[in-house]
Amino acid sequence: MGVASTLLLLAVEGPPPDHEVVTDFEQVLLVVLVFIIMFGLGAGLTPRDFASAIRRPQGLIIGWVTQFGIMPFLAFLLVIGLLLPLPEEYAMPVAIGALLMGSVPAGTTSNVFTFFSKGNLALSLMMTTNSTLWALIMTPLALVLYGQRFMPAGSELQIPIENIVVTLVILLVPVVVGMLIRRYNANIGAVLELMGGFFGLFFILFLLVTWVPRNWVLLVITPWQVYAVSILIGMLGISVAYGIGKAIKLHPANARTVALETGIQNGPLAIAIVLLTFSDSPALGMVLLVPALYSLFIVLVATAVTIRFRKANLAEEQKIPSLL
Amino acid sequence: MNAHPWHQHYADGIRPEIEPPPERNLAELLRASAREFDEDIAFTQVMPNGMNGSLRYRDVDQLSDDIAVYLREVVGLSVGDRVAVQMPNCLSYPVIAFGILKAGCVVVNTNPMYTPSEMAHQFADSGARALFIIDMFADRLPEVLPKTEIETVVTVSISAFFPRVIAGIITATQRYWQRTLPSITVEHTPLRAALAEGYEARRAGADLDAYLAEVDHDALAALQYTGGTTGVSKGAMLSHGNLVTNTRQTLEMVGSHIRRREETVLTALPLYHIFAFTVNLVGFHVMGGRNILIPSPRPPSNLKRAFENYPITWLTGVNTLFNALLNERWFTEHPPKTLRAAAAGGMALHASVAEEWRAVTDTPIVEGYGLTESSPVLTFNPLGGTIKDATIGIPVPSTEVRCVDEDGAPVPPGQPGELVARGPQIMQGYWQRFDETAETIKDGWLHTGDIAEMDEDGFLRIVDRKKDMVLVSGFNVFPNEVEACLATMPGIQEAAVIGLPDPKTGESVRAYVVADDPAPTEAEVLAHCREHLAAYKVPRSVEFRDDLPKSLIGKVLRKDLRAIITARAAGDDLAEEVA
Repeated sequence: MGVASTLLLLAVEGPPPDHEVVTDFEQVLLVVLVFIIMFGLGAGLTPRDFASAIRRPQGLIIGWVTQFGIMPFLAFLLVIGLLLPLPEEYAMPVAIGALLMGSVPAGTTSNVFTFFSKGNLALSLMMTTNSTLWALIMTPLALVLYGQRFMPAGSELQIPIENIVVTLVILLVPVVVGMLIRRYNANIGAVLELMGGFFGLFFILFLLVTWVPRNWVLLVITPWQVYAVSILIGMLGISVAYGIGKAIKLHPANARTVALETGIQNGPLAIAIVLLTFSDSPALGMVLLVPALYSLFIVLVATAVTIRFRKANLAEEQKIPSLL
Repeated sequence: MNAHPWHQHYADGIRPEIEPPPERNLAELLRASAREFDEDIAFTQVMPNGMNGSLRYRDVDQLSDDIAVYLREVVGLSVGDRVAVQMPNCLSYPVIAFGILKAGCVVVNTNPMYTPSEMAHQFADSGARALFIIDMFADRLPEVLPKTEIETVVTVSISAFFPRVIAGIITATQRYWQRTLPSITVEHTPLRAALAEGYEARRAGADLDAYLAEVDHDALAALQYTGGTTGVSKGAMLSHGNLVTNTRQTLEMVGSHIRRREETVLTALPLYHIFAFTVNLVGFHVMGGRNILIPSPRPPSNLKRAFENYPITWLTGVNTLFNALLNERWFTEHPPKTLRAAAAGGMALHASVAEEWRAVTDTPIVEGYGLTESSPVLTFNPLGGTIKDATIGIPVPSTEVRCVDEDGAPVPPGQPGELVARGPQIMQGYWQRFDETAETIKDGWLHTGDIAEMDEDGFLRIVDRKKDMVLVSGFNVFPNEVEACLATMPGIQEAAVIGLPDPKTGESVRAYVVADDPAPTEAEVLAHCREHLAAYKVPRSVEFRDDLPKSLIGKVLRKDLRAIITARAAGDDLAEEVA
């Protein structure tokens, strides 16, 4: 038996049975963080933003297509190509996590990277909001559509679609509340908005300093395919969306925005969904794997892309009319 | 000819002459407002992200009393002592400016963007003994203070008077993220401490009325520095009478369009500028309005939250601001529904901007005119009366305006002449500059240096600055006209025109052009001019440039352009880079 298969066996067996991949405390904390992040998203919005977006739907349509057409499909291809060859009892829960990662809406961190990439910040904010609202329908739909292609019928592990819809609704509540708070107290609204961005980063920091060291055994024995999927979802998403943006001749600033918006998913949201819907399942740790690794690696991927995007010749671009 | 042809064009109910205001000084005006509007919100400062703080009329009244007492009892200043104020629009500004006026001292408004040498000049020239400065720029003081008579420095935080948590967040952001809070090495008192000391002294029994015993209409209220187009910066001496009267004149002119206690005015123009000082700060305060103070209007997206969160009814600004807003999608797609009117001044309001503004907001925009030397309002288009676009309107009540020739004789209607004005708002003179004062105020008439035409109805149109006029073989060429012609040519973004010495014609017209890509050739530009302009107005030559020197509010500075060209002619290439 080779080293690889030993590791694989370890992975399937997992660390000692009493090891908790996420502790109760971490669960509560992560969910609270997601709530704060969603509050922040709402606190930055006004009804006018929606009205403005509807006036120029092209950007939203393009974003919708890349976000819910391409991302889940990419995740599905990666599942088929890289994860399904692994033993089924390991592959299934990890694949569910990967598919979920591809099907959730865009994350608020995409706005930060768009800003630093000299993209179209207004478009970015609108796309994030738009995809967050559409997620109510599209995320479950993508999970059903692609999930049934690789989930064996009658499998013990099922994607709890109803729970996921309920979770999404619950997580949208703070967005609406954030909007209302902003309307009645601009100061609290601005603080929530700031905190949303701040805690988006804190979330990743939290994963890095507590969750990673505690789970290092698990991470060491995790097969390379899982890492590859976690990194490639974001990387391919950005590349494909950028290619499409270029092909349909979007203004370069908008192409950059659509690219980052598409590739950068709402990692914290995916983690929250996993925690809230699989909390009683023994597979929780494995479902969580891709969302957690994605959330860590997307920071590196997006930073690299941003550095590349920043080299754009803005003076030259200003001569191109922007329609979005 | 009727000496006041404009009287018939005032809106109904506007009196052509107003009596001298009963208030002896600005402090009386402000105190009356505080009594009447007491609990109403007077000022709200809005940061770009929507964070905000507010002061009620009574808060501003009490806090400015504390400042007055601090200046008189703690610092030991007397009536007529100058106090410099250097900060962007923030809640501290009215507290401090009103406090200085209540102390009987003189406000010296200072642009916060000034370099240390500009600061030193203005502080030394005015003889200021105390300075209120925003903490962000206080690192320039070690270099500046030794050259001045300033003994007391009070530092102000941009978030002063905000809710405590919000103020803490703003300060933390400034200190650790933006790193815009330098350490201050000179001796200074934070505003909070100054207010506390003033409060203690006031409780111990300071007599605020006594400070103003001698302060009436003739007493100096502000030294408002102005460069004019040439020469060093000099202080226009504006008295309490000048400012109280100009406030009354302006309010008379707008009549019922500023409703008592119902207006919310967006103050994006800096309060250290005389237009915002008189019209927004004092004028709307007298009417019980709520002032929305914007510390930094650039980029224009900084105004988005203010427009979203407050029912803005009035807006004052310069052409650049209106134009910038019309280029913002959030503004054009959701123009403020509550807006009632806008007033433009400071520089020419382009007819195209005015038209687009009316189309987008469905509210009137009127252009006015004035100078620092006239407190500043001299003319305005009368809201509710006759409005003529591309004119600066008609003189405000109790103001006489004429266009005169070189000998000071009035020119016929429609003929260009220097705009001169007489009225209770004309400054007392330039601070300690008798020669310049004598050149500017002759027989009681303020000579503005602007060439204007008055039509049969008394409406005035500014033709150009007198000093920028180019004399080609004895013919007057107005750069504005040539620039307007150039601006209509496709491929030209903006243009500036100046006169250069010419051995044959005395002066010749020279154009500086910022072109699009692809740029037209010089021959094409000249051909365009020949088609639209009389031969003597056509530029002798055209130079293509990457940009044009501009003032902080976006006015093209011909004098700076001239300085660059002169320096370059002298072989001084460095000057261009520094400029």
